[in-house]
Amino acid sequence: MSILARVVQWFADPAHWTGTDGIPTRLVQHLQLSVESVLIGAAIALPVGIALGHYGRFGNLAMNISNVGRAVPSFALLVLAFQIFGLGDAPIIISLTALAIPPMVTNSYVAMQEVDPDVKDAARGMGYRELAQVLLVELPLAVPLLMAGIRTSALQVVATATLAALIAGGGFGRYIIDGLDQQDYTKLVAGAILVALLALATELGLAAAERLLVPRGIRLLRAPSARRVTYKAA
Amino acid sequence: MPGHLFLDYVDPWINWDWLSTHVPVFLAALQEHVTLTLIAVGVGLLISLPMGVVAHRWHALRNPVLTLFGIFYTIPSIALFALLIPYTGLGTLTAEIGLVGYAVLILTRNVVVGLEAVPNDVLDAANGMGYRPLARLVRVELPLALPAIFAGIRIATVTTIGLVTITAVIGLGGLGQLILQGLVENFHTPLVVATLLSIVLALVADLALAGSQRIALPWSRSA
Amino acid sequence: MNWKPRSALLAAVIGLALTAAACGSSPSTSSTTPKGTITVAGFKFSEGSVLAELYGQALQHDGYTVTFKLNLGSREVVAPAIKSSQVDLYIGYAATDLEFYNSSAGEATGDVTATTSKLNSHLQPLNLVALNPSSAVDQNAFAMTKANSTKYNATKLSDLAAIGGQLVLGAGPECPTRPFCQPGLQKTYGINFKSFKALDTDGPLTRAALKNNDIQVGLVFSSDADLSSLGLVTLQDDKHLENADNVVPIVRTPVATSEVKKVLNAVSAGLTTADLVNLNSQVELQHMDPDVVTKAYLQQHNYFS
Repeated sequence: MSILARVVQWFADPAHWTGTDGIPTRLVQHLQLSVESVLIGAAIALPVGIALGHYGRFGNLAMNISNVGRAVPSFALLVLAFQIFGLGDAPIIISLTALAIPPMVTNSYVAMQEVDPDVKDAARGMGYRELAQVLLVELPLAVPLLMAGIRTSALQVVATATLAALIAGGGFGRYIIDGLDQQDYTKLVAGAILVALLALATELGLAAAERLLVPRGIRLLRAPSARRVTYKAA
Repeated sequence: MPGHLFLDYVDPWINWDWLSTHVPVFLAALQEHVTLTLIAVGVGLLISLPMGVVAHRWHALRNPVLTLFGIFYTIPSIALFALLIPYTGLGTLTAEIGLVGYAVLILTRNVVVGLEAVPNDVLDAANGMGYRPLARLVRVELPLALPAIFAGIRIATVTTIGLVTITAVIGLGGLGQLILQGLVENFHTPLVVATLLSIVLALVADLALAGSQRIALPWSRSA
Repeated sequence: MNWKPRSALLAAVIGLALTAAACGSSPSTSSTTPKGTITVAGFKFSEGSVLAELYGQALQHDGYTVTFKLNLGSREVVAPAIKSSQVDLYIGYAATDLEFYNSSAGEATGDVTATTSKLNSHLQPLNLVALNPSSAVDQNAFAMTKANSTKYNATKLSDLAAIGGQLVLGAGPECPTRPFCQPGLQKTYGINFKSFKALDTDGPLTRAALKNNDIQVGLVFSSDADLSSLGLVTLQDDKHLENADNVVPIVRTPVATSEVKKVLNAVSAGLTTADLVNLNSQVELQHMDPDVVTKAYLQQHNYFS
């Protein structure tokens, strides 16, 4: 039987949809790790990037932090986290958060920098104070690039979370790592497909979120997101 | 700050004695790492340039190709490497097929985007001057697309350096082997030093490429 | 438009890539031996590296060029590699290897000679051969923390039968399919664990999980040296689930020349369980390198020649 047929059979097997090693359980684990990491990362990265971009300070650092972040090998980061923090979700989330931060800092910095200075002037002229200006005027205009950063981070986190299985983590990576260890290629391929599907779902979900958040006028003017920082860490 | 996991032996983060007797091991790993990366990016470029040109030329292909590539990009590299083993074995070839693949995904996108960024006026002027399509491509469009392509090379290089460490899980990996050794033996030094070397390698490569870009394309801002 | 810097750069990059490829493919060690290259694979646990280095260095001393592929994986990964000639030699364990190659038919016994010869009957069609087994033994063992052993009043594996449902078992991902691991515990002892957690094979993940009480029973090896210092106790295998897991080199038949066999058999003959535990102790407790401790050991024994 071809491997594809076996994979289809694997998905059709109800045993793979229940229990501690079942698809729903692994999905929840994978999502939990990913969502928590991106949220915590965003909570740290977005304010920093937005502030830096708004004031136009430390541009070089903000731009280059993506390069540095991309240079950190994710596999090593996870192993280091295990050796420092031990087992459990904490080392995984800490590593994934560290990987999620750089693209969001860079993209939010660039996003705020790209806001038309005339618009900022006009807002200032209309009497907007600093925080209100940022929140009500600049941020909505910055949303496309900001979301591009969040999408990049989220995709990368979802992909890298597969490596968490190397330090006893859960999620779809378990199918891949266990499949490799057991030479069970059906499980391995199934795991890879599940991760790819989850990544696609993440991309589509965030694209939908972006559509909701981007002001209608900007959406009509949208240029192609050619500036997206592509990322692959796992 | 020494790391004490749970053994009586307190394992410092960098054991300089051990390190000083293992310099050749690190150098060999570094060499393997650099070699794997150069081959991947070099071959990736050779494949993605024509591929990007084709995708740009035939508009109908542009979105399907980029979307398809985007989908393949989401496949975890460890799965891809593992899947290749029964067919291509445990050697450099398996690692390179995967690494070249991901490099092509990154580079093709940047080639396409770079070509798209060429202003229409320039194309018109070139046509007006009598350039035929191939000459126009080579002497006008590609040079103008170089900033984006260079950006892609930088990203692909740094990304590849990171992905090489993952090939350790299938018996290769350059510096990744030392990371794996650190995990299996619960030993900090090879892990810490290999990680630092990997980061330094990536940053040096990125800087070198940025510098080369400034030399080769003096008119462009680095992307 | 200034061509020169760009073409020069392009030529330089291509040249660099080609040079790197050429450098990468040439042997990194100068080989003056006419005896050929042997690739040794090591399992993904520290004793795997110790044994691979031990036998590999003996071959090196005898003039062979040896390539090491350490931490390659479990037997599920190493066996296909040797079957497809990607590696030439790995150091196995007689009973576990027999049950692996006979698809868990249950042929292994405590008699190492019988076990090894049955193993060879299964290896022969695969163009592999098991050499002389060593007297050094390393079997699966199951450990609990001292605290849990007291808490559950468990000193032998049969004590776990009644309380299996309260306990989580941790081991490498291959354990649920290995006759001397989870299925064996169920069949021989009637232990049905609450759940299984895939960690690593006798590595730091398993030890950390035991310490955190994420698992109550963990797979370790009988030749481990660090267990008591970690506060772990092994449960007695009172119903003899584990069998003759003597260290035995498994080689591809074309590589098993009389010279190679002589070298490897000499090492096997000299290696004892105490030696193995001692080597493991230096690696696990004193954090010495596998290749360093095996070299010292071989020199001490004059390479068994």
